[in-house]
Amino acid sequence: MQRRFKASRGGIDVDLNADEKSFLTELLEILAGLPRTGDDPASQRLRVPVYLDDPESNDEWWRLMGEELTAARNDDRRIFQRALGDGPGHLSNEEADAFLRVLNEGRLALGARFGLEVEEDHARLSPEQRDIMDYLGWLLEDLTSELTRSL
Amino acid sequence: MAYDRGLISTHPTPVIDPHVGEDQDTDRPWQVIVWNDPVNTMSYVVYVFRKLFGYDENKATELMLQVHHEGRASVSDGPREKAEVDCYRLQGHGLWATMEH
Repeated sequence: MQRRFKASRGGIDVDLNADEKSFLTELLEILAGLPRTGDDPASQRLRVPVYLDDPESNDEWWRLMGEELTAARNDDRRIFQRALGDGPGHLSNEEADAFLRVLNEGRLALGARFGLEVEEDHARLSPEQRDIMDYLGWLLEDLTSELTRSL
Repeated sequence: MAYDRGLISTHPTPVIDPHVGEDQDTDRPWQVIVWNDPVNTMSYVVYVFRKLFGYDENKATELMLQVHHEGRASVSDGPREKAEVDCYRLQGHGLWATMEH
């Protein structure tokens, strides 16, 4: 399968087809629509506790750091959205890092909604769910591989 | 970028309780723990460890495998405020990071 990311000119060339951009735009919409709190497993996966045995410190950490984290994730998603524009694109390594984080964030969110809590849960995915996770994983691996060259 | 090395001053004030208890031990570093999960890929985790902490490939891979096989690994340590910032950077990359003392 043709690779979608290639290290080039001090950054990463991106070559996604129209169907892929459409799917990734939907993924972005899912992320944007996640409630900050509540029982949605995707939201919970993106807001895991930092202090396991100290709820008070955990709440304080999220009160102080949570806003910063949300702002950083929103910055990443804007870069991701721009990269889904018309035609092939080119991202700086910093922008490609942001793209990578959103790919991973989306995969984590969908994985949580699909009920992936332990490794064995992969065997219980429907064919469509497996295709989605595999596709996002493939993109993630491709981009990770290219970005690793810059370390 | 907010998660890069060397830009810790851009982060918000860490959660430091001024009313420290009797069990405070300032000499004992906080440990930052990364937990296994069934979604993050191995190569992504290695990449994040290398990028955030500057570990070489062998060290990052060793830590990733420890997370994978043992369920958790201590990936950094230091004062509480550093541990909180490291958790922030790891959480920002989708890794489940906690801290313990």
